[in-house]
Amino acid sequence: MLGKKPKTAAAALALLAGLGGTALAEVPVVTIYGHENPGDAELMERIEAGMAAQGMEIDIELVGLSSSGYADALSLRLLSGEIPDIIYFQGGDTEFANQGILEDLRPWIAEATHLQGALWPHNVERLENYPYLLYVFPARTKSAVMRQDWLDEAGGQAPQTVDDWTELLRTLSSSDLDGNGENDTFGVTLPGNTSEMDSLFNRAFGISATWMQNAEGEWIHSRVSDQERDKLAYYQSLYAEGLLDPEFVTTNWELKEDKFYTGRAGIVMGTAGLVVDIYRSKMQQVNPGTELVMLDPPAGVDQGLIAVDVAKESRGFAIHARSDAKEAAVAVLDFLVSPEGQFIDRMGVEGEHYIRDGDSFQITEAMGTWYPRFFVANPDYWSPPVDLLSPVAQGSLAQGAQYFTPDNAFVWPSDLATDVDAAEQYYRTSVFRFVSGEWSMDQWDDYVQGWYDAGGERMTEHARTVLQ
Amino acid sequence: MTMPPETAPAGPDAPRDGNLPSAALILDEDWDASQPAGRWLRLRAWWPYYLMMAPGILYFVLFHYFPIYQARLAFQDFRIFDDNIWVGLKHFTTLFDSPAFFQVLGNTLIISAMKIVFVFPVPILVALLINEIRTTNLRRFIQSAIYLPHFLSWVVIAGIFIAALSPSDGVINEMRGWIGLNPVGFMTDSGSIRWVVVFSEIWRSAGWDSLLYFAAIMAIDPQLYDAAEMDGANRWQKIWYVTLPGIAPTIATLFILNVGMFMNAGFDQIFNLANDAIRDQIDIIDTYVYRIGLQSGQFSLATAAGLFKGVIGMILLLAAHTISKRLTGKGVW
Repeated sequence: MLGKKPKTAAAALALLAGLGGTALAEVPVVTIYGHENPGDAELMERIEAGMAAQGMEIDIELVGLSSSGYADALSLRLLSGEIPDIIYFQGGDTEFANQGILEDLRPWIAEATHLQGALWPHNVERLENYPYLLYVFPARTKSAVMRQDWLDEAGGQAPQTVDDWTELLRTLSSSDLDGNGENDTFGVTLPGNTSEMDSLFNRAFGISATWMQNAEGEWIHSRVSDQERDKLAYYQSLYAEGLLDPEFVTTNWELKEDKFYTGRAGIVMGTAGLVVDIYRSKMQQVNPGTELVMLDPPAGVDQGLIAVDVAKESRGFAIHARSDAKEAAVAVLDFLVSPEGQFIDRMGVEGEHYIRDGDSFQITEAMGTWYPRFFVANPDYWSPPVDLLSPVAQGSLAQGAQYFTPDNAFVWPSDLATDVDAAEQYYRTSVFRFVSGEWSMDQWDDYVQGWYDAGGERMTEHARTVLQ
Repeated sequence: MTMPPETAPAGPDAPRDGNLPSAALILDEDWDASQPAGRWLRLRAWWPYYLMMAPGILYFVLFHYFPIYQARLAFQDFRIFDDNIWVGLKHFTTLFDSPAFFQVLGNTLIISAMKIVFVFPVPILVALLINEIRTTNLRRFIQSAIYLPHFLSWVVIAGIFIAALSPSDGVINEMRGWIGLNPVGFMTDSGSIRWVVVFSEIWRSAGWDSLLYFAAIMAIDPQLYDAAEMDGANRWQKIWYVTLPGIAPTIATLFILNVGMFMNAGFDQIFNLANDAIRDQIDIIDTYVYRIGLQSGQFSLATAAGLFKGVIGMILLLAAHTISKRLTGKGVW
């Protein structure tokens, strides 16, 4: 969406006619770069109206960029020197922060009316570590979900331990629960790599954080720890037994969902809240009446979800440090987490996404297609008047909160970028080779040396200066 | 050196009102185009052609020559607002110290060499085979069919190959099953993936690239075939002694241009075919530049990698041109 032509035209006419031109010119304009979504123009008008009702006349110009390749497109736009007042980043922000282009948001938040109260605990920690991005949203933890009817057929007991999980995956793989006459269902599928499995299994194998202390008390990366070795050995056993989708590495996001809805995979992991809700809606479109059930992370050495990275927000809104409309930009962000702003952004359009009858609200089927464009405030600050998410999606958010532990990862300096990249690529390739059995677990020491050679050495040296 | 005759443009062969000049005017030995006046006359005489060339020239200036100037970023620390800071060879040092760079460079060289050896000859073979089809309709149908993959994006082609090579239900592995062979995960096998890259490139481009060779074959004087036939040459001999020598200049030119593009191992193709299992086998300079440059925001470092690639490509182009000139007397200029 590129601006609002009718409003611009009206302003131009007013100026020409000399009617209130001065007054219009005083309305601050806040430009935002963000994702392109249907209904953006109407949403911006409602936000402007909501702010105006509180005495804040602001003209919001949202420039929508295509979701496909958003980060790259944004990066190129910003490099051309076209920098708006508010920028939604989805990665690639650190270089801009390093060059002083992004505003330190902490003083603004401290002065804001609503922002402080609306933050989630992980937001507070992230802003302290990296004060340039704001993303008032639940932590993007992953929860495992499966069909309730399949769990019932598999015995009805949700797995609690690693062994229970193995047994459930075995049952899903050996039974023809989708009833297609073929034994072609895998216990679990993953999109491209094992990171979704890690979200659930890391703590069961004792991987409590990105950096862990070895027997000598030295900081080492968890990827070269004995706990990681044990976890990969477990994944290897799942793969060998056919419980883990053997084609997970060539499976993308769309394919992962497709395998889940069509019965080729029994369990998938989804981001808590909205994504789990979307999985449920799509599952019900393909298999009417089917309900999803959330599974607990397995208990082992420990139990819980992977530690949440609090080094910085991985996505979020930044304010241009040289913007002339910083105060207005902060006012927009502050309004969006206020009760009025949350109502507008999260409830959708009255009559279309919800029906109001006095103080009672009822959401319509169309609510399944609506999602907040900006923020989801901490529920202690504001909760919608009616449940917007299904029970399983609500449960996934509660699970994320229940198992929240902050990670000790930190932001890498730019001169280590090539080392971080090389070590990441080496790790990902090695994981597949271990899991697929191409590499035996006896080759673990060679892998560890390879990881240190591929940049891990310099990363570890730096980490030891940071963590101490 | 003589000036062009003053009367030439006003003569009977001079172009008027946009009419093109005759060969007699252009071949006039007294018209020295190296002189300013000669150049102007020539420009005036050929202006419709220069006009047609203008968009192409503009494209090359904007997207190929201007970026050469901007390659100085490889020697600077990039600043979005302020002036860039000159850092000399710092980014090249970082690049060559990078644990992944030489692996990426090796992959680029290997994949490019495989494409030159295995992909480059295929369109020649296809053009020769199409030329042997005598039924016009059948030839047209085959040409149309083999051109089609060229119009598919690499996203689609990668999807087709991933599905076709799937070890569980891919058509290739099903065919292997018919003859008692075990399924192979071609897309995740380190030993297979570069061949998948080569084969998918052939599948996509062989038909389309054969167009140039086929056009060159069509330009061969039919009397040469008649003469060969009268001398008792069979089909193979006619291909060997008439067709191949006839298209040799085209082959030489395209070979040199391909060598010049040697370091461009195919970003779109690799980006779409890569996965975690085999990335270390097919990660090339272009994908590395994309990751480090665009995704990690190291723009100067990425420019240094791109410049390094460009210089190697230039050296290869000049070497191939020189060798070709010496061996065959033909080059790109």
